[in-house]
Amino acid sequence: MIELVHLRKEYDNLLAVHDLDLTIPQGEIYGLIGPNGAGKTTTIRMTCGLLAPTMGRALVAGVDVAQEPEKAQQHIGYLSDFFAVYEDLKVWEYLDYFAHAYKMPEADIPARLTEVIAQVNLEVKRDAMIRGLSRGMKQRLGIARAIIHRPKVLLLDEPASGLDPKARLELRNLLLSLRDQGATILISSHILTELEGFCTSIGIMEKGRMVRSGRIDEVTAAENPARLVRLAWSGDSLAGDSLKTVQEQLSREPRISQVKLIGAGGAFQFAGPEEDLAPILAGLISNGVKVTAFGEVKQTVEELYMKLSTHEVM
Amino acid sequence: MMTRIWSNPEFVRHRRAELRPVRAVTVGVVVLVMCVLLGMACWSFQHQILTSIRNGAEYFKTDAWTQRLAEAEQNFAQKTWLLFYKWLIGLQGAALTFWTLFSCAQSVSGERDRKTWDFQRVTRLTPSEIMIGKLLGEPVLVYFAVLCAVPVTLIAGLAGGLSLGTVLSVFAFLGLTSLFLGLGGMWLSTLLESRTRAVGLIGALAFYGLTLGARGMENSGLPGFAALSPLTARFAFIEPGGFGHSLRPVLFGREIPWLLMCFLLCGSFSVWLALMLVRNLKRDYQEIRPLSRWQAVGCAAFLNFLIYALLRPSPAFGQSWNVDAPPGLFTDAKIVAAFAVAMNGLILFLMGLATLTPQERLKVWRRKRTTGEAAVFADDGLPWPWLGMSAIVAYVLMVWGLLAWNHTLPLGMGTLQTAAVQLLLVLVFVTRDVLFLQWCMLTRLRQPVVKGVLYLGLYYAAAAVLAGIGSVSSEATGHWVLALLTPVQAFDSHVNGLSFPTATYVGLALQTGVIGVVLTAISSRLQRPMRAAAAA
Repeated sequence: MIELVHLRKEYDNLLAVHDLDLTIPQGEIYGLIGPNGAGKTTTIRMTCGLLAPTMGRALVAGVDVAQEPEKAQQHIGYLSDFFAVYEDLKVWEYLDYFAHAYKMPEADIPARLTEVIAQVNLEVKRDAMIRGLSRGMKQRLGIARAIIHRPKVLLLDEPASGLDPKARLELRNLLLSLRDQGATILISSHILTELEGFCTSIGIMEKGRMVRSGRIDEVTAAENPARLVRLAWSGDSLAGDSLKTVQEQLSREPRISQVKLIGAGGAFQFAGPEEDLAPILAGLISNGVKVTAFGEVKQTVEELYMKLSTHEVM
Repeated sequence: MMTRIWSNPEFVRHRRAELRPVRAVTVGVVVLVMCVLLGMACWSFQHQILTSIRNGAEYFKTDAWTQRLAEAEQNFAQKTWLLFYKWLIGLQGAALTFWTLFSCAQSVSGERDRKTWDFQRVTRLTPSEIMIGKLLGEPVLVYFAVLCAVPVTLIAGLAGGLSLGTVLSVFAFLGLTSLFLGLGGMWLSTLLESRTRAVGLIGALAFYGLTLGARGMENSGLPGFAALSPLTARFAFIEPGGFGHSLRPVLFGREIPWLLMCFLLCGSFSVWLALMLVRNLKRDYQEIRPLSRWQAVGCAAFLNFLIYALLRPSPAFGQSWNVDAPPGLFTDAKIVAAFAVAMNGLILFLMGLATLTPQERLKVWRRKRTTGEAAVFADDGLPWPWLGMSAIVAYVLMVWGLLAWNHTLPLGMGTLQTAAVQLLLVLVFVTRDVLFLQWCMLTRLRQPVVKGVLYLGLYYAAAAVLAGIGSVSSEATGHWVLALLTPVQAFDSHVNGLSFPTATYVGLALQTGVIGVVLTAISSRLQRPMRAAAAA
């Protein structure tokens, strides 16, 4: 759905985006992460046609954005971090303007306005002047503008900046529902917790280059061949005995390494598939260890980013 | 067509925001009240004149006064209506042109300032739809106000003794000049980033002043250019000949109506402005380039063509078709040629400005040029080959123009040779200056073109001061300094053929060398290695 081919952007003698190749299939929520100045915003602006690339191409739904901008815009919804709305319009007038600007069929517009206003919970403000809305409401209106024409691709540049926690949650739910409807979403952020849990793929950018890119589990697996497993057991049993039992049990398994046990808990690395953890747990229980917690510790996007970022920059 | 304009989303947005029912009614009422007040003021003024005539007639009791009183009483109503009409159309013209220009001059920079521009750029609106929407939408309030006053103005004009044609012509004239001013303002607005909006307003004020001042061209050798001024509407239609002897516009030596000239000039300039807007409205600020290289050559040719098409020569001996004309600028072909060369200095400089290549594009061009993929005449290359081409076109048009006017302004043998050297000299200086600006664009100067132009102004001021200092020791030294550093000496009226002073040719060689130095500086700038962005 989104295809970036050798995309490059130069400013003065600065290479902002360095020959970027990226393909994002339909239905993905792709999180573009990286520090400020990594080239995320430049990449998004080139993808939606706001910036002309120095070299390379950006294709959205098979349409070259630079060659046929108006045709490509039909498929793109764009939202940036700092933006404003036309304060002298009413909520419905604002959305009606963009519905017409995106050249939606005239007959579809009234129903679509109602639908989108409901999606962003602004029904009660439909006839209100925009200048009277709160910042969060304006942000929601911005999201409504970005999706008014049912774009196949959403390009969101730091969309949650300035939103309160509730609004962030609403934004996340909205994006998930759009993904379920088949939209492809490219979302950039340097607040990594924002992307946690709902991105299906990530790309990590540093100094204009893509350091890693792919589905989150694939990237994680590539970076961590072994799984980190934490366990804890009940302190009712004699701690010393249990500790010894656990140590013995774990040492028998050749795929287990880096065992660190302290008191009534600990962690180890396991280089095998997830389902092979079950016999290990069963063994511990059968040996009388009162296991209270046992499970893989999934790596967060933040941890993954820090790990990869360390390789490239520090 | 009208339906498409009426439903243009950008126009609808402005209409909704600016003309909410309460505001529309208020504007209508205010306009109506103003009309009534203005009408009463005009009636009062005319009545005072009538009273003073009446008093005079009673006091002197002569036939002349009695006849004057009778005429004044008979014409009272018509004169009052005419005065009313003049005030109405004057106010409408001022409001329409001023408001259109200034609202359009903030149209794009204002959106950039409010950070709403990018969202308009990513819609499916085409640049021409945005342009039309803004042109009609930004000043929609003043359009509405004028529309409210139109019926009263029509009645006042007709009752004032003007024909329907005249009244409609004045409206058409004001409409055309407003269109031109609006597009000019919008173009100015696209050139400005949000932080330089104030500069844009000053620029708009200067543009308005220039346009109004174009009325002064009425008594020049190019009277047609007065059609660009909204003031011409009043003086050409309502008070023809009321302000001294004025020339009528000519096209290829034939007199044409002011309205037609306005249509031709405002229309053609508006088309060029529209072309520049359509090319650039949806581009990123850094990517703005007013015209392509071929369009720039075409524009230079068009402007040169205008000089010869609108020329109204004033032959020194007065045997030709226009013996009653006041002495104008162009009394012989040599003056026309020198004027055309001087104008080409300005035209070539503007063309150079319009075709400066953004740094990024120039770098790509240079890389391709190194591998043999790009030509010297490429659209992203350096502007100098295109300046040369524009100069050649200008010279060809000059030959054509002077030959066409040969029957009125006999062409001397040496005139074309002199003009060729003059044009070459102007071309070399302009090329040097434009390449300097191109070099400025490769530096880290903020607003490099503006700063570059200021540096050039400083350079020419310094050259004039140096020439002044040189002329203290001897006049020849002053001339040498001027010839070496500026193209001014090329316009010495005593030169015929190729017999320019040696200093002129030395100056030509010197400046060609300077061009080489600037080209080397540009090349070394383009060869600097790239570095990756630093992570925050």
